[in-house]
Amino acid sequence: MDYPTIVSITEKVIDIDALIAQVTLSSTGAAAMFIGLVRESTMRGKAHLTEYLEYEAYQPMAEAKMRQIADEIRQKWPSVEGIAIVQRIGRLYPQTPTVLIVCTAAHRDTGVFEAARYGIDRLKDIVPIWKKEIGPEGEFWIEGHPIPKPGE
Amino acid sequence: MNKVRIYLFATLRDFTGVKTLELEIPAGMTIAGLKVQLVKSFPKLAPVKESMMAAINREYAMDAEIVPQEAEIAFFPPVSGG
Repeated sequence: MDYPTIVSITEKVIDIDALIAQVTLSSTGAAAMFIGLVRESTMRGKAHLTEYLEYEAYQPMAEAKMRQIADEIRQKWPSVEGIAIVQRIGRLYPQTPTVLIVCTAAHRDTGVFEAARYGIDRLKDIVPIWKKEIGPEGEFWIEGHPIPKPGE
Repeated sequence: MNKVRIYLFATLRDFTGVKTLELEIPAGMTIAGLKVQLVKSFPKLAPVKESMMAAINREYAMDAEIVPQEAEIAFFPPVSGG
């Protein structure tokens, strides 16, 4: 059985309904999804406002790393059916979805929630994407995540 | 000699104003050696040299790795997608 895997770096609006349809099979009864959005008002840490974020990616490597993450998910949670991992890039304003991870399975108690959580955590660690924050106090690059280990 | 294509991203591109360049480097040069050469060409990269990450042909590369012939190299800061 060939399960659908969709990975994409895009400048277009993330079409959530279309992506769910693409990872839904006749045997699918559950989809767990994470969506990251641009937050206008940050309270955690140093409170501040965001006008917009400017995203960029090393596209061919980013899509290869997303495919790697999908493979890792399938190894850890063999009951996962479809996987979609999409990152939107370019200038994105508050309340806009920027990243989507969706994993589908026959039932909800198959690890599908954990699989989606793993997907977003791994994306933030190893996929070469960067964002610059623009706000009332100027613009600054958002500090990156821990450096991948050899072989990642 | 080895002709490599180098891509710079995020802060590195901002600091240098350069997205991509081609360099002739000695055969057998490591990523660490290439970082040194890059900082020599672009002194503005000195403050970010320690946190600079590298990829060879779209896979993460450690400092000790030797740059293969005609490789696609990328340098960038720690990633911050999502």
